[in-house]
Amino acid sequence: MLKSKTFVKKTRSGGVMKVVREHYLRDDIWCGSEVCTECKQESTVLQKDACMESSLCSYPHYLVPDTNVVLHQIDILEDPVICNVIILQTVLQEVRHRSAPVYKRLKDIIHEKEKRFYTFTNEHHRDTFIEREPGESANDRNDRAIRVAVKWYSQHLKTFESDTDGLKVVLLTNDQGNKQKAQDNGLLVYKCEEYVKSLIANPELVDRLALSSDDKNEITSSKVLFPEHLPLSRIQTGIKSSSFLQGTFRASRDNYLEATVFVQGEGEDSTEVLIQGLQNLNRAVHQDVVAVQLLPRSEWVAPSSVVLQDEGTAKDDEDAEEEEGKVTAVEAARKPTGKVVGIIKRNWRPFCGMLNVSQIKESTRHLFTPADRRIPRIRIETRQASTLSGQRIMVAIDGWPKDSRYPNGHFVRSLGGAGEKDTEEEVLLLEHDVPHQAFSQAVLSFLPKMPWAITPEDMMKREDLRPLTVCSVDPPGCTDIDDALHCRELENGNLEVGVHIADVSHFIRPGNALDKEAANRGTTVYLCGKRIDMVPELLSSNLCSLRSNVDRLAFSCIWEINHKAEILKTRFTKSVINSKASLTYAEAQMRIDDTNKNDDITKSLRGLNKLAKILKRQRIEKGALTLSSLEVRFHMDSETHDPIDLQTKELMETNSMVEEFMLLANISVAQKIYDEFSECALLRKHPAPPPSNYDILIKAAKSKVKIHTDSAKALADSLDAAKVDGFPYFNTLLRILATRCMMQAVYFCSGMDSDFHHYGLASPIYTHFTSPIRRYADIIVHRLLAVAIGADTTYPDLMDKHKQSALCNNLNYRHKMSQYAQRASVAFHTQLFFKSRGILNEEGFVLFVRKNAIIVLIPKFGLEGTVFFDSKDKVSPNIVFEEEIPGVSVPAPDTERPAKKQKLDH
Amino acid sequence: MATVQVSEAEKVYILHGIRDDLRVDGRGCEDYRHMEIETDVVSNTDGSAKVTLGHTAVLVGVKAEIGKPRPTVPAEGYLEFFVDCSANATPEFEGRGGEELGTKLSNTLYKVFNNKRSIDLKSLCICAGEHCWVLYVDVLLLQCDGNLYDAISVAIKAALFNTKIPKVHISSDEEGGKEIELSDDPYDCMRLNVENVPCIVTLCKVGHRHVVDATLQEKACSVASLIISVTHKGTITCMRKVGGGSLDPESIFEMTEAGKRVGKALHAPLMKLLEQEESLGKKRQKVGFLG
Repeated sequence: MLKSKTFVKKTRSGGVMKVVREHYLRDDIWCGSEVCTECKQESTVLQKDACMESSLCSYPHYLVPDTNVVLHQIDILEDPVICNVIILQTVLQEVRHRSAPVYKRLKDIIHEKEKRFYTFTNEHHRDTFIEREPGESANDRNDRAIRVAVKWYSQHLKTFESDTDGLKVVLLTNDQGNKQKAQDNGLLVYKCEEYVKSLIANPELVDRLALSSDDKNEITSSKVLFPEHLPLSRIQTGIKSSSFLQGTFRASRDNYLEATVFVQGEGEDSTEVLIQGLQNLNRAVHQDVVAVQLLPRSEWVAPSSVVLQDEGTAKDDEDAEEEEGKVTAVEAARKPTGKVVGIIKRNWRPFCGMLNVSQIKESTRHLFTPADRRIPRIRIETRQASTLSGQRIMVAIDGWPKDSRYPNGHFVRSLGGAGEKDTEEEVLLLEHDVPHQAFSQAVLSFLPKMPWAITPEDMMKREDLRPLTVCSVDPPGCTDIDDALHCRELENGNLEVGVHIADVSHFIRPGNALDKEAANRGTTVYLCGKRIDMVPELLSSNLCSLRSNVDRLAFSCIWEINHKAEILKTRFTKSVINSKASLTYAEAQMRIDDTNKNDDITKSLRGLNKLAKILKRQRIEKGALTLSSLEVRFHMDSETHDPIDLQTKELMETNSMVEEFMLLANISVAQKIYDEFSECALLRKHPAPPPSNYDILIKAAKSKVKIHTDSAKALADSLDAAKVDGFPYFNTLLRILATRCMMQAVYFCSGMDSDFHHYGLASPIYTHFTSPIRRYADIIVHRLLAVAIGADTTYPDLMDKHKQSALCNNLNYRHKMSQYAQRASVAFHTQLFFKSRGILNEEGFVLFVRKNAIIVLIPKFGLEGTVFFDSKDKVSPNIVFEEEIPGVSVPAPDTERPAKKQKLDH
Repeated sequence: MATVQVSEAEKVYILHGIRDDLRVDGRGCEDYRHMEIETDVVSNTDGSAKVTLGHTAVLVGVKAEIGKPRPTVPAEGYLEFFVDCSANATPEFEGRGGEELGTKLSNTLYKVFNNKRSIDLKSLCICAGEHCWVLYVDVLLLQCDGNLYDAISVAIKAALFNTKIPKVHISSDEEGGKEIELSDDPYDCMRLNVENVPCIVTLCKVGHRHVVDATLQEKACSVASLIISVTHKGTITCMRKVGGGSLDPESIFEMTEAGKRVGKALHAPLMKLLEQEESLGKKRQKVGFLG
């Protein structure tokens, strides 16, 4: 049967269009229930004895949630307790329109077999399709459609009453009007809260209920704290007339009353708008897309130099804000300042953190402190506060009414005890959006079958380099060896140097599930004592790893180099190698230094080392920067995996030897793929930082030395020259600061950009080729190079610059997140390390000075922390803050230097 | 225009019949052929109607779009006409054969219908000087069996009666920027008042008499005809003479009087029929094109 659906919509040009869609109704849509004998369905989803122990419904029943219940209570629906649910097509479509993330979660639940969620396409069912009536709003029509479907179900199931124990259908809705109408129609209907509270066997579900608007009214205090958000239509016209700006909200880590809104302009130019004060922040949460209105120029302020952490309810917010107002900034330091007038898109995700149990014993309302300092505290309601305190939990935000100081949320799940290693690791992986679930069966199905061996066909296509003396040099304990080297003297006196990289692209074929998973993960994440692989372990630690004395497939880059380290010839080939030794940096160093050893491997290493030194000198002459960041290694207890000792990473000559050749290979490959594919080569660039970035470095060094930042070369030279007698660490400190001035290096597609320069390495072109086991970018580069040398076939996505550009964005994001996760992991292990150590005295250095705190670095532990001048129990010393230097002077001479103290508050 | 070849003997037969008020198909001189009307036949228009008159069949669709008002009349909307002479109607229209007739027809229709006495053009105004509704009236000739004007005019009136224009609201912000907002309810729409929309009556001078709704054969015997648009009150809004022959003033007077009479009599049953069809609403059995 054919019906047509008609609606009018506005076109982009402002016109009005009438759209007519044909809508077919069928009579072969089955109910999906086990008890039904009438429907000719092949398999059933809904069980005969649908048992959920509810005090309201003592009979077996199926649940039908309406759209709002799905949208707001998805956490409840995800719970394993809830099963045998009918999701109507009306609901599914509405959810899809309203919220993409919820829709995805709902789809996931539907696909889960054990949950027994059945989608009933009521809109196409002959008996349940309804047409909108005059005067009926779209929502009312959908509500009616839901009621009609529920009615149909209850009548449909009634016919089989004899062989069931009164199976019924229960509608869940939070809408009072809808509920009333459903009751009038004789349907079984409950509010979601009523129903969940009636589940006697599972009282903990109540905590996961999202606070609905009814409940929010209870918390209402008379005081309206925030200005109203503007409706979306007003925002859109405002943005069109450029009285508002649209941007991403980024809360400050150091100050909860301050944020910037990053407004993407046309092309490259983008501006940052500063937002200060609770009123102006107006309930925006980190990463939301917001509309801001600029304040008049006279009200512009400079970013404050106070470190403010939201201490909770007790503190009077007005005080803090007044303080903000008083900041009299130097004219030049003022930045465009604005206020948030509306939220365009919320970007809320479940947040990890800790519960602050309320002081009042009986209270069920508690504050939740997220692990990410940029997220405000969240008020949640729970009855299990005593069990949850001391645990890491996940909480989702439900809303932020304008009369509430904190957003309202609900408990999602517990991750485990705080301070436990597994829990904390889970937290930091979740917080940094690192995909860390086990590889799915679909992904694993694309792995080669074991036992695996190189086939004769492979050998035909590849160069046999097994006779060469190839060896690998890696950090100790490395199992994913992706590079190996060789060096030998040729008959004409020149040297042949080869870099052999694991041929991962041989195993990961474009477009399959394994490839997609790797592309999504983007990079392997190394945490302390744990590795989150990008590709399954069989590949990363076995088939692709260039272990010694086994035949492995490789992609080789072979140069002919003279003794002045000038490249005479470059050639790329797919090959088979057999590494003669897997060395650690220290072992390789020992071989080079040991004059008694004269075997092939050692000779090869010496040749490489000699060339590397020349290469490095050449590179530094060109203006490559040597920067420094503190990297700490932990010695782990082999049984408990707790850190037992820690040392900062030591650099040996051999580190730099391997690095030089990797750089060389990367540059050679970058040039080759760019020559071959000027539009779609995947390259890596490191833009020169804007001069203002160097301000902190110049200011910090001003009292001792002058730093030139005109070019990379000038910077490198003045960093080399910056030495202070009796203060050997000064140079390292400056290099650490210089590192922080730098821009992020990023992957990009050559067809989408014109600036290829790599600032840090002083190379006109660069890419990543040498670590395909742990970086997806390298796999793409491998594929491009293989096509370039005719060793492999191409595929459409590889040559599509827009697709590649999108891939680059993901890789850059994953890369950044993995670095943050790594840092967070180190920080956590540092804390674990100190847990048993008690108070230690160590030398520390002041990195930055704020108005009420200093940021201190302790090099020995690579630890950075904020030290406040005024703590809760101590009166703050009389401190004079000077914005210009910036510095703090303490008038009383006998005050102890605070830098000596360390406080672990991360 | 579609023509048929008629022999001299046939002509004499037709002429004599008309002289005695008895036409070949048995009608009197002021009688129409059997007429069928169905509205809302094309779902993706805002209003449509299909009219068959004898074997003549026309389909009219009305599309409402937002446009800019004419500068001379900033507070009024307007109508646009287009007549498509499909080659289905007659093989003569094949290729560009129907173009000339189409233009001629649409020009006449424009004169007859696009004025504020026929339709309340002010009601089509959304925002004076900026936005107004433009009604695109598309006429499709499906089959030609004489008397196109009358059939088209009835179809246009029916289609305009059927037209539902979505309701819009103008919202303006403080900067004076205006935004057109559409009503969410598809049933919330504006109807046109078609009371004053005229119908066209074509009178063909055959011999010494004149006939209404001439068939192609009768047309072949006629030397000149008069096209008169008449409102429901019997007012003549437009008149045009077509054809090569001459008409003496006396017969013009006679013909206009007859046109008024016939036109007035045509409106009342037409409106009754349209309202009756409308009242059936969704229960109406649709006939469509295959019925």
